[in-house]
Amino acid sequence: MNHRILVLASALIGWSAIPLAGQARPKPYTAPRTPDGQPDLQGFWTNATYTPLERPKNVGKEFYTLEEAREIMKKAAVDEAEQTEPGTIPDVHYDFTQFGLDRSQGAMALNLRTSLIVDPPEGRLPPLSADGARRAAERTAARKSRGGPHDAVQNEPLGSRCILMDRNGPPMLGGAYNNTYQIMQAPGYVMILVEMLHDARIIPLDGRPQLPSNVRQWTGSSRGRWDGQTLVIETTNLTDKFAFMGASENMRLTERFTRLDEETLRYQFTVEDPSTWTRPWSAEVPWKKDKGPIFEHACHEGNYGLYNTLAGARAEEKRAAEEAAKKKPQK
Amino acid sequence: MRTRRAVAGLGIALLLAAAPAMAHHAFSAEFDISKPFKVRGMLTKWEMINPHSWFHLDVKDESGEVVAWMIEGGSPNQLIKNGVTKNTLAIGTELVIEGYQAKDGTNKGVGRNLLLADGRRLFLYSRETEK
Repeated sequence: MNHRILVLASALIGWSAIPLAGQARPKPYTAPRTPDGQPDLQGFWTNATYTPLERPKNVGKEFYTLEEAREIMKKAAVDEAEQTEPGTIPDVHYDFTQFGLDRSQGAMALNLRTSLIVDPPEGRLPPLSADGARRAAERTAARKSRGGPHDAVQNEPLGSRCILMDRNGPPMLGGAYNNTYQIMQAPGYVMILVEMLHDARIIPLDGRPQLPSNVRQWTGSSRGRWDGQTLVIETTNLTDKFAFMGASENMRLTERFTRLDEETLRYQFTVEDPSTWTRPWSAEVPWKKDKGPIFEHACHEGNYGLYNTLAGARAEEKRAAEEAAKKKPQK
Repeated sequence: MRTRRAVAGLGIALLLAAAPAMAHHAFSAEFDISKPFKVRGMLTKWEMINPHSWFHLDVKDESGEVVAWMIEGGSPNQLIKNGVTKNTLAIGTELVIEGYQAKDGTNKGVGRNLLLADGRRLFLYSRETEK
């Protein structure tokens, strides 16, 4: 416990020196240029955050004061490092702190915002459209018709199967750990390497059209362009096999990357999907300079957990069948 | 703990699910809450792999027979980023591991706490160690 408090204290001292995303700046920052003249966004960045996507219902403002934000981060860090009650479901876990995986042990931008969602102004997702609600109900029914969550490998969540996680997106949202991204720029292309699942987004910047509409991909089809200092990436051609927050395959995503200073990149995104939400919505996340390199997250290769989960479910079924057989009256 | 009370006093709400629930898979589907264990053994291999690292241990059971155990731990990415290698924890190190056993009943488990033989908690990396 003492050890953890020391770790947290040092992390919090580190945060206090971080420039604030969203704070008024004395003069506009001009990003350095790559050899071919693009604003240079290259390097390792993290979108780790304790700020929730949606504003808590009892918070009625867009920004915390600096003091409030620091207190919240401190509390979140302590909560994340705290041991859980033995014998409870949350305790069935390894300890994040022993692997340096709790967010407060790594780089993290201090965010004064009370939610990542900036539009609608109340900081919460817009209501589902009738079509969006219908599809959500259909997805639930389809899932149930396939049987229990561990009946077949296909019933396991995409993340457990190493196919797609929230860090991959797009849009790219932070998670509990492994929130690092590497941006590389070459003439005509930008590449974003996502730490989680080791996914490389290779995005052309030459104005070519999106892929034909019958080509559907987990991460869609992305095309980029520069809008002054800002890299704009538009994504379409998503698949109905994956529904980001319930979105349809027709979701249209616009991501904007702007370097605010040496240490901070502003990541904004807007989701347009009239068949899911009654209006578009937007979020903003400060990304903080991180260190590399990124170790390959070769998820399939070491995914013993998937095997163990399915083997566990089969062992439980066998036990249950044996119990049932014992209870059967003898002929 | 003191911090928690101070923050509650400010009346600020923060919607944070308990972080461990957000990891790669549902741990309670892989491991059995009703089978907590504590084993003491010698590290024979540490697989620094994703999505989870695995510690292989030789454990002596009650009859004195050596039994191999496999213990699940966290993703090694943050460790490797900070210079921890698989040599950081020497093969042959004696570890005491508390955790929950795999549902399929084999000698596998999740390592809730990794302790050194003298009872200190094992921290593979923490910012403090950089100083």
